[in-house]
Amino acid sequence: MTDSSQPQTPDSQGFIRAFRALVIVLVVAGLAFWVYQNAVQPEADKPFKLGLDLAGGSHLVYEADVSKIDAAEVPELMSVLRDVIERRVNVFGVSEPIVQVESSSFVTDEPIQRLVVELPGVSDVSEAVAEIGRTPLLEFKLYDEALAAQQDTLRNLESLGESATGSRAEIGNVTIDGEAISPELPFKDTGLTGRYLETAALEFAGGNSGQLSNEPLVSVRFTDEGAKLFAEITRNNVNKQLGIFLDGEMLSAPNINEPITGGTAIISGGFTAEEAKELAQNLSFGALPVPIELQSTQTVGASLGAEVLGKGMQAGVYGLGLVLLFMLLWYRLPGLVAGVALLSYVTIMLALFQLIPVTLTAAGLAGFVLSLGMAVDANVLVFERMKEEYARGVSSREAARVGFMRAWSAIRDGNITSLLSAIILFWFGTSLVKGFALVFGIGVIMSMLTALVVTRTLLLTLPDIKKSAGTLLATLLGNGIQK
Amino acid sequence: MFFIAYKKVFIAIAAVVMVGSVAIIGSLGLNLGIDFTGGSLTEVSYQTAPDKTELENLINTQNLGGISVRESVDEAGRDAYLIRTRDLSEPERVELESAVTSLGDAGEISRFTSIGPVIGQELRDKALYAILGVVMIIVIYVAFAFRGIGTPVSSWTYGAITIFVLVHDVLVPTALMSVLGYMAGVEVDVLFVMALLAVLGYSVNDTIVVFDRVRENLMANRTEKRTKREEAGVMYEDVQYTLTKPYDQIVGTAVRETLARSINTSLTTFIALIALYFLGGAVTQTFALILMAGVLAGTYSSICIASPLVVIYAQWRAKKEKAGSVEGEKSVVL
Repeated sequence: MTDSSQPQTPDSQGFIRAFRALVIVLVVAGLAFWVYQNAVQPEADKPFKLGLDLAGGSHLVYEADVSKIDAAEVPELMSVLRDVIERRVNVFGVSEPIVQVESSSFVTDEPIQRLVVELPGVSDVSEAVAEIGRTPLLEFKLYDEALAAQQDTLRNLESLGESATGSRAEIGNVTIDGEAISPELPFKDTGLTGRYLETAALEFAGGNSGQLSNEPLVSVRFTDEGAKLFAEITRNNVNKQLGIFLDGEMLSAPNINEPITGGTAIISGGFTAEEAKELAQNLSFGALPVPIELQSTQTVGASLGAEVLGKGMQAGVYGLGLVLLFMLLWYRLPGLVAGVALLSYVTIMLALFQLIPVTLTAAGLAGFVLSLGMAVDANVLVFERMKEEYARGVSSREAARVGFMRAWSAIRDGNITSLLSAIILFWFGTSLVKGFALVFGIGVIMSMLTALVVTRTLLLTLPDIKKSAGTLLATLLGNGIQK
Repeated sequence: MFFIAYKKVFIAIAAVVMVGSVAIIGSLGLNLGIDFTGGSLTEVSYQTAPDKTELENLINTQNLGGISVRESVDEAGRDAYLIRTRDLSEPERVELESAVTSLGDAGEISRFTSIGPVIGQELRDKALYAILGVVMIIVIYVAFAFRGIGTPVSSWTYGAITIFVLVHDVLVPTALMSVLGYMAGVEVDVLFVMALLAVLGYSVNDTIVVFDRVRENLMANRTEKRTKREEAGVMYEDVQYTLTKPYDQIVGTAVRETLARSINTSLTTFIALIALYFLGGAVTQTFALILMAGVLAGTYSSICIASPLVVIYAQWRAKKEKAGSVEGEKSVVL
C-alpha cells in the first residue's frame, strides 16, 4: 500500500486518517465516561465488584463430608446443601451474600467438596457460623388445656384493663401455681424431638382420613426408643391435639384419634412438594444433607478494606502518571500517542471489570498496576523499530508502518506465551489465582489490541516528515537520546 | 558486541547469582505462611499497643500450641500485632479475640484468617503444578515459534535457554523472599506465588523479544543452497543454509538492537512497581518488592545471559563438529 496506488488525493487520505483517529478517541472517551458513571453513581447497574478484602467482610470455607454418599448423588446433595445454607445466610440481611459449591480439581486424589460462603460487610463471624451450623429443631408438643385456660384468663384481664383505662395493659410475670405463664401457644413439651427420628420421607396423601388428596406430607419413622415414647404419649392423650413444631413454629396440630404404636407419624402443614421434600431431607440428615466442617475463615474489617482500596487506587493513578510521563519524555510525539493508547487500555480494562464482572481484590489491583508498566511494551517495541527506520532517512509515516510490520513477530510471540501461561493458571488455579489469571490474560489481549489499533491509527495520523527536515516537528517525531 | 564479547563474565556473574540464591534459599529456607501450612493469623490493632511479652503471655495461657507474635502496622497506620497460631476452632477464635482486645487501648481485630491444613496442602500442590505446566508450554511454544531458525542451533535450544533464564529470574526473587523471611519474618503467601508467576511471564517475554531479533537477523544474513535428490522413489529437497556473518556477531547485533526496548519496558514496569510499593496498601508491598527483584533479574538475564549462552552453546557445538563455518541443513519432502 504505497501512496501512489491510492485513488484518493493526499488531502482526502489525510482527512480519512484524521477521522479514524477522532472516532477512536471519541469512543474511548465515551467509554471512559460510562466507566466513571458506573463507578460513582450509587444506583449504577454495572458497578465495580469489590472482593471481601477490599469491601470488608467474611469468607468462610466449609468442607462437606461426602464419604458416605454415593458419588452419583453428590452434585444433587451439594446443591441442596447450598440452598439450605443460602436460606440460613439470608437471615442476616447481608446484601449479596455468595454461597457456592467448589469441587477441588483433579490435582488432589479424591475430589473434595467445599462450600464457600461470602458475607460482605459481616466482620463478626461468630453469629454467622452459629446460624450456618444450626440444626433444625423438630418438637412434638401436647395441647395443654390448663395453660390455654390460664392464657385465656390473662387475655381477659388485659382486655378488661383496656376497656377500663382506654389503653392496653400489659400484665407480665403472672404465675399460677408457681409456674410462669408463657405467652406462646398453649403447648407443653413432651420430650419427643427430632433426636428420636430415624428417617423422614416425602409422601403424598391418599385422600383418606380427612387429608387432601395428593397433599405432600412428610412421614417420619422414630427410633425404637422414640417409638415407645410416641406410643406412650398417644396412649395417654387420646382426643388431644399433638402440635408439631419446627424451629419453634407450629406446622400442624393433628388430633390424636387412637394410640399409635407403629412408630411412624405423618406431618402435614400445607407444604408444597418442594418444601416437604426439603423438610424430609433436613430431618433425616439432622441439620444438613451432608455434614459440613468449617475449614477456613477470613475476615477483614470494613475500614481496613477501604484503606487498602484507597491506597491501591492511589498507586494506580500515580503509576499511570509516571509511566505516561516517561513515555512522553523519551518518545516525544509517539510517546504522547502511546499515552493515549495506555489510557485506552486502562479504560477498556476497567469497563471489562464492570461488565464481566471481575471481582477486584487487593491482589488484582496490584496486578493491574503492574500491567500498566508492561502494557506499553508493544508500543516500545514498535517505537524502537520505527526509530531505526526514521534514523535511516525513511519518512516518519513510512517508518511507523515498517515499525509495526517488523515488531509484529516479537509482539505476537511474547503475547502468545503470556496468554498460554494465563490459560494454564486459570485451569489449575484456586479461585484467587484464577482471578489473577483472568485479569492477566485479558490485560495481555487488550494491551496488544490497543497498541495495534489505537497506537497505529494515531501514529499514522501524525504529519509525515523526514528526519532530515530538521524542524522542531522532525525532532518531536524522533525519540530517545537522538537529536 | 559488548555483551557477546564479555559473555563469559556475564555468565559467571549469573552463575554466582544463581548458586548464591540457591545457597540462601537452602540455608535460610522459606517462611511458609498459613496459606500453605494451614493455621490462623490474627491482626489486632490498637490505639496504644500493649507490651509484646504481655500479649504473648496472655495468649500462651490459652493452650493454642506454638504461637508467634510479630509487631506490625495496620493499613490505617495504627500499631498492630500479627498473631499466628495453628488453625482455630470457632470457640478458640472467640476466646483469643476477646483476650487480645482486652489488652492495650482500643484493641480491635482488623483481620482474621484461618486455613485448614488440607486447603494449604492443596494450594501448594496447585501452585507447583501451575508453574510446571507454564514452564512446559513455554518450551514447546518457543521451540515451535522458532522452528525455522535451524542454523546453527535448533529451536529447542532457544526453548531450553528460555527456561534456564527463567530459573535464574525466579531464583533471585525467591532468595530475596528467603532473606525477608529470615530478617523480618515475612511469610510466603499466595501473593508471592502470583508475583513469581508474573516474573515468569515477564522473563519469558523479555527473552523472546531478543531471540525474535536473533531469528530475524539470522534470516537476513544467510544464503541457501537447494539440492534435489531421489530416495526410494520419493523426491527430497535438501536446503543448506550458510551464514554470511559469524553467528556471534549476528546475535550481538540483535542484543544491541533490542537493548533500548529491554531497558525501557523494564523501566516503565519498574516505575509502576515503585508507585505500588510506596503508595499501595501494606498487603501488596512485598508483592511489589518481589516483582522489582524479578524485573531486575529478568532484564539482566535477557540481555546478559540468554544471548551469550546461545552463542557459547553454538561455539561448543561447532568445535565438536569441527566445522569451519557454521552451517545448517534440513530436508523437505517434495
